[in-house]
Amino acid sequence: MYLAALLIAIPLTSALIAFFAGKRIAPYLSLASGVASLFYFLLLMGSYDVVKNYLSYNTSLSWIPEMRIFFHVGFDAAAVLPLLLTQLIVTLSTLATLVRGNDRNAAYYGLIGLTHAALNGFFMAQNPVTFYLFFEATLIPVYFLVLQYGGPDRRKAVFKFFLYTVFGGLLMLAAIVFLQFHMREHLSLAGWDDFYKNKLDLKYQYWLFAAFFIAFAIKTPLFPFHTWQADLYAQADRPSLMIIAAVMSKMGVFGLIRFDFLFVEAIYRWQYLLIPLCLIGVVYGALVAWRQNDMIRILAYSSFSHLGLIAAGILTMANLGIQGGLFAMLAHGLAAAGLFFVADVLIRRTGTTQLDGISGLAHLQPRLSAYFFVIVLSAIGLPLTCGFVGEFYLLWCIAEYKPYLAMFGGLTLILGAAYLLRLYQKTMFGKSPEQGTFQGLSLSEDYVLIVIGLLVIVLGFFPIHWIGLGQYAFRFMNHLPAN
Amino acid sequence: MMSAFIVLCLFAIAAMFLGFTKVRGAIVPIAFGGTAIALYFAIGEQPFWNHYLTGMVETGGSAKILAALVLLNALALIPFYAWYERRGQEELGDFTGLFLFASLGAMLMVSSTHYMSLFLGVEILSIAMYILAGADRRKTKSNEAALKYFITGSFTSAILLFGIGMIYALTGSLEMAGTVEVEGQMLLQLAYLFVFTGFALKIAVVPFHFWAPDVYEGTPTLFTAAMASLVKLASIGAFLRIIQLNADLLPAWLNAYYALLILATLILGNVLAVKQQSVKRLLAYSGIVQAGFILMGFISLQPGEEWPVLFYFIAYVLASVVCFVVVHFVESREGTDTLDAFRGLGQRNPILAGTMTLALISLAGGPFTSGFVAKLYVLNQAVANGYASLAVVAVVCTLISVYYYYKVINAVYSKSADPALPVGPVYSGLLILFSLITLAAGILPSLFTSLLK
Repeated sequence: MYLAALLIAIPLTSALIAFFAGKRIAPYLSLASGVASLFYFLLLMGSYDVVKNYLSYNTSLSWIPEMRIFFHVGFDAAAVLPLLLTQLIVTLSTLATLVRGNDRNAAYYGLIGLTHAALNGFFMAQNPVTFYLFFEATLIPVYFLVLQYGGPDRRKAVFKFFLYTVFGGLLMLAAIVFLQFHMREHLSLAGWDDFYKNKLDLKYQYWLFAAFFIAFAIKTPLFPFHTWQADLYAQADRPSLMIIAAVMSKMGVFGLIRFDFLFVEAIYRWQYLLIPLCLIGVVYGALVAWRQNDMIRILAYSSFSHLGLIAAGILTMANLGIQGGLFAMLAHGLAAAGLFFVADVLIRRTGTTQLDGISGLAHLQPRLSAYFFVIVLSAIGLPLTCGFVGEFYLLWCIAEYKPYLAMFGGLTLILGAAYLLRLYQKTMFGKSPEQGTFQGLSLSEDYVLIVIGLLVIVLGFFPIHWIGLGQYAFRFMNHLPAN
Repeated sequence: MMSAFIVLCLFAIAAMFLGFTKVRGAIVPIAFGGTAIALYFAIGEQPFWNHYLTGMVETGGSAKILAALVLLNALALIPFYAWYERRGQEELGDFTGLFLFASLGAMLMVSSTHYMSLFLGVEILSIAMYILAGADRRKTKSNEAALKYFITGSFTSAILLFGIGMIYALTGSLEMAGTVEVEGQMLLQLAYLFVFTGFALKIAVVPFHFWAPDVYEGTPTLFTAAMASLVKLASIGAFLRIIQLNADLLPAWLNAYYALLILATLILGNVLAVKQQSVKRLLAYSGIVQAGFILMGFISLQPGEEWPVLFYFIAYVLASVVCFVVVHFVESREGTDTLDAFRGLGQRNPILAGTMTLALISLAGGPFTSGFVAKLYVLNQAVANGYASLAVVAVVCTLISVYYYYKVINAVYSKSADPALPVGPVYSGLLILFSLITLAAGILPSLFTSLLK
């Protein structure tokens, strides 16, 4: 009964111990908890049967009985891929801190553990209040991570990020209180199904969906709520940025998947407005990324651009859109984590984030450049990498909705190639620095890159087992019996 | 209940007299013990001497819960007064005794069923608090606070008394309950308006808040904590009693009146807090805003259903006591309570910083804290009674409060080269205890609500 809750408990316990453990033990404790939750997750996933038990390993506790609010976490088809991503990236990000000259204190690893626990809870949440609880709970450790360990201008950046996100979260809270009250008589304990079965009046749907959409658009971010993103990314501590960029940015689009079945009519009415809005973000983000000279900012805008496409695909409300969206979340998460990690490796060695300061590393570091290339290819969306599969599904759905919109969506592939290859070319080719000035990859860095590189290719070759999971989530659309 | 009054009174007198002797170190333990004994008598089923109360004081039901809350509140604050003893302050006996008298008054207020005993409670509480506001008598600010508090407090009493007088004139009785059908309904409604406005002044909701920031700022911080917790609890408790006992007589416009006060409080309170540089003033405004939220629990309140208000209050007291105590320690070291004084607290004393951060998160309604659940309860109350738009405004205003709470947290976790700021283990332990209760009430609220029902 507590199987799902254990996935939250593992990182949470390790985080609480890490706060009081010494500086030397905490990193390994954090790594151990990451690996333990990864294996525990794989164990759960191995015995998860989506057809027989769509919702497994439930932990449902009466939390606020007066308002029929339950603390309910569980394992369902929509949550599998994001959870996989979370366990992977958190482990890799901890590994990424284990380099020479690591002076992060124990509290850093405690905060990472808290973020991990909250993210697991978020993806497994089975009702809106639990969802909101973890949505906000991820924010607090991340706030402190950036505030305590970020770059010189972090204060302003993190404050902006925090206020933006809290604003969205509060709108969502108001909507959830209303939802909870409105549906109180029809609630049983069965998780999201229950909420989806309640048909809301269209007039309510408009308001509630607007609140949810703004919350998720800020969190993702989608155009025009993206202004906090590049500043925050530029200032955040880079290993923790892997979690922020790869996993936290998925919270918004994941929220769209969770809540869109409640507001089907409202989304159909507003699609014509929302999808182009997302696609503006896609093109705009890509163009801005192209003109940047700062590595982190290029990657930040690239992330913004890709997430716009995922959101657009999900908002088409098509079966393939949901499937592709979920898979693209995983693919983009892997690629983003990889890219930010490579950027971290380069910045730590050269001391600059500017493209002008780094060149010709392919000669000195052929292995690094090879890994980097694989990850770049996946981020561009080349066939046979996992980046391709998700984007193909998404573009397909958008093309089915309005063919000319898919043309704009398709620009992400072309422009993505333009700015990422520019990044690759500037850093890896050109005039090499002198031999010996550039330190080789350490063991832990090698591991991070190998894992990401392998996964990118393996998932690109064998996506079918994974991508099919999404269609089970989609059955809520018309309440088809699971088959 | 009567025995609780007597015990508290005796111990208050004892504390005052101990102030003249050489054994000042015994004052705080004795006061603490006395309050604990009073708590035992208040929640136990001892009917000793209760018949002397002659129907002016309720001894069971919600009165018991409220009285217990008052005494728990006192128990939470008394240990910190030992700080004065270590500083060699001579007036410790007076302070502690007056504080116990204030608790006595608060207890009388929340358990009265008669307007006379209610007013007696108000005066006992207020007069003690006027003196405590001026406790730091060498500072002009403290004197100013005492004078301001005294003037507004007398004004409040006058308004309250005027309302009570009108009720007496109309019904011929000072009993809260049992008011029969009266002639001149309009006048009765006016009387209730006066009474409620009197309490609104005590609780400090906009537009009756103007005294609070000045008084809070000038009052010695440990007594500001009492002002923010005890006085508000007593006024809210008395308010609840009137509503409970007159449920069917209350005018219909009351909800609209609440809504108006809440709206003004949330918007103005939050906006005014943003620019504050003094953390104490900021917390004063925050207390005003929290009072607005508490008032939200009063919308269409049914007798026997007051636990959301009480739960909110517990969450608020836990958080604000922690905040004020931390401010007290910082202020007594730095001599000022501006945001700059808090810079680097995270390095100087992680326990103070951590507990204050948690308390501020709870005040802002962060997840897994009691503040979140409490906000959920009162928002639900508003939505359930057709004030959904009010709930939306409240939630959006919370954004502003998040802004200024995190301004403090930002300052606390910035770098500074100042030396460590140690505090005694008892104080640290108490602060950690309050933080743990805040978390416990956020994670397992049903434990607390089952006690409150």
